[in-house]
Amino acid sequence: MAKTSFALNELVSKLPDPDERGMYCTDIDKTKIEKAIARINKGGHDSIIGLVNMLVEPGKGDDVKPRYALHCLAVYVCKHKSRKNRKAFANSLAMQLADDYSKAVKSYLIRQLQVAGGREVVPTLGKLLHDEELCEPAAQALVAIGSGTATQLRNALPEAGGKCRLTIIQNLGVVRDRKSVGTLNRALGDGDRETRLAAAWALANIGDPRSVEALLKAADSQGWERIQATKACLLLAEKLLAADKKKGALRIYAHLRKTRSNPDERYVREAAEKGLAKAEKTQMD
Amino acid sequence: MQKNKQVTRREFLKGSLSAATAFTIVPRHVLGGPGQTPPSETFGAALIGCGGRGNGTFKAMGLEAKKLAICDVKFVGKADNKTIYTDFRRVLERKDIDVVAIATPPHWHALISIAAMEAGKDVLCEKPMTRFIAEGRAVADAEKRYKRIFQVGTFRRFDKSKNPRDILNHKIMKSGLLKNCKAVHIKRGGLKVKQWSGIVNPTPQPIPKSLDWDMYCGPSPLKPYHPHRTGGTHRGYWDYEGGGLSDMGQHHFDPVQWTFAKDDTSPVEIEAYAPPAHPEACGMWGWVEMKYADGLTFVFDSSEWPTQGEPSYDRKESREVSLSDLSEDDQKKIAAMPDPEPLITFAEAVKTRKRAGGNADAANRSATLLHLANIAIRTGRKIHYDPVKEEIIGDDRANRLVNLPMRAPWHL
Repeated sequence: MAKTSFALNELVSKLPDPDERGMYCTDIDKTKIEKAIARINKGGHDSIIGLVNMLVEPGKGDDVKPRYALHCLAVYVCKHKSRKNRKAFANSLAMQLADDYSKAVKSYLIRQLQVAGGREVVPTLGKLLHDEELCEPAAQALVAIGSGTATQLRNALPEAGGKCRLTIIQNLGVVRDRKSVGTLNRALGDGDRETRLAAAWALANIGDPRSVEALLKAADSQGWERIQATKACLLLAEKLLAADKKKGALRIYAHLRKTRSNPDERYVREAAEKGLAKAEKTQMD
Repeated sequence: MQKNKQVTRREFLKGSLSAATAFTIVPRHVLGGPGQTPPSETFGAALIGCGGRGNGTFKAMGLEAKKLAICDVKFVGKADNKTIYTDFRRVLERKDIDVVAIATPPHWHALISIAAMEAGKDVLCEKPMTRFIAEGRAVADAEKRYKRIFQVGTFRRFDKSKNPRDILNHKIMKSGLLKNCKAVHIKRGGLKVKQWSGIVNPTPQPIPKSLDWDMYCGPSPLKPYHPHRTGGTHRGYWDYEGGGLSDMGQHHFDPVQWTFAKDDTSPVEIEAYAPPAHPEACGMWGWVEMKYADGLTFVFDSSEWPTQGEPSYDRKESREVSLSDLSEDDQKKIAAMPDPEPLITFAEAVKTRKRAGGNADAANRSATLLHLANIAIRTGRKIHYDPVKEEIIGDDRANRLVNLPMRAPWHL
């Protein structure tokens, strides 16, 4: 770890102190802050590492100013449209994720990559998808970045367990990874309810006709799972209809119209009837 | 299962303070008929989120509603899963509950509203409707998909819609005859910026035994517990709300949005004057200027920064629309226009199945104003917004704040 330079300390000290309530509400000088951040940015990689070195776990010391500085820097490199500068910032932060910082500090760095990161940090974030403490921020940063994320999530899934597996399954749906449809269909039979429901939603959001029968079967469950799997069916039908794949949509709507015969599910039946009418109309057009 | 639920309801009625006036509530769907209204016009209801705004939000439904369940993540050790719950999903499974009042912190508003409509319930949701823009569209989609009633918990638009001056402005704007709108609406102060700021250096505290902290955080990142993140002061954190601007903004701008007939669109250009924002705690800002495609300008002026108590925005003066902005022919067309239909209250909407005045589409648009303002503050740059696609144009990284990733298993 690099030593923090005197110049960097000077610049960080120019950032505001929390007021008596612990807030940034008093004596907030916009120009002074922006000048300090611009000068920290000029320090490049060394400044970034210097700031990271100042971070501590929450409750283990005072890192208010470097924490704020690092975030301001993340926003700054996005605001000033130098792709090279932003990329350099992201790469510098990503490199620190392999270093010996606490998980809380790494989590904070990942959050800054969610702000300013791009394709260049995707492989690094992908490596964290098996880490129980970091898989969530890593997955969230990845889906925010988007490009290249599906491959990382897909490759990480087979070895993932527990919370990481749930997180990956959900986010495969967020990025609409068609290549995962088979795996997600199998996850509908998982022993864990949350995993089954995450898979159902992911499949619906992907909008692939191969999921129709499996989701309809899932929607025959009871209680909360029935409500959520039914939502997945309706969402899938809408996606299929929008993609001109009417056969699957018609199958879903017809099934729900037939099976939601109890008065307490009348609203679902009506939603299915409305969808059916729309699908039939489009078929005729 | 149904049998158990009925027993549960009877048990509750027997054991509750309201036992003296107890009667069997027949769920709406059992009776059917127009509006599915039971003869007693009494609805089975639940309150989800029992903090400071809980009872007020429940009463705001304006219905003869029997409170069959209350739910809050702070009821650990107290919940019996019959009348008192910590998990809203168990409440929503109940078939004897027709309407739900939601008064949780805003990071839960959209998810619980959507889940409630998926379970066939009507929803009155405390403002602000959402924590970020994409949530609003998802709520509006659910409202349409299930044909449920949704009303956001801000009601000043109902007064505006009865005011002759506002009705005239509404008609002028709705007519589309005004091609270059010069109106500027400035809201100075009343946005509680200092009051609802967050602590930038919170020292983690032990989680109270009565609180399910993981469930409290829900879709937002799981952070170390600090009491300031809960109990009203949650408003000062991006994870749960968006400061005083989010807290008060929908009250101030939802009615104005109706007056200017902007329930179906959003500003296209947003610019803020603010110091760089803190990553977690909401803090100070001066003003946010938002321009619609037709030229209409809305301005939030905190009047709390850079100088407390003094206006911050001086680019433009307030200006209303008026008939004189139009040609004589167009003025005649306005005079011939019928007045807008009266807005439907939540109670009336529940009974008649007509759409509520503060429905999800309208509420999404007024909530979007707050979120766009906060995105401009947080990114420090001018934002260009596409009101149709509901996304920021040409700024991928600012767009990341339009649809925030959620912590599994929570998703829209």
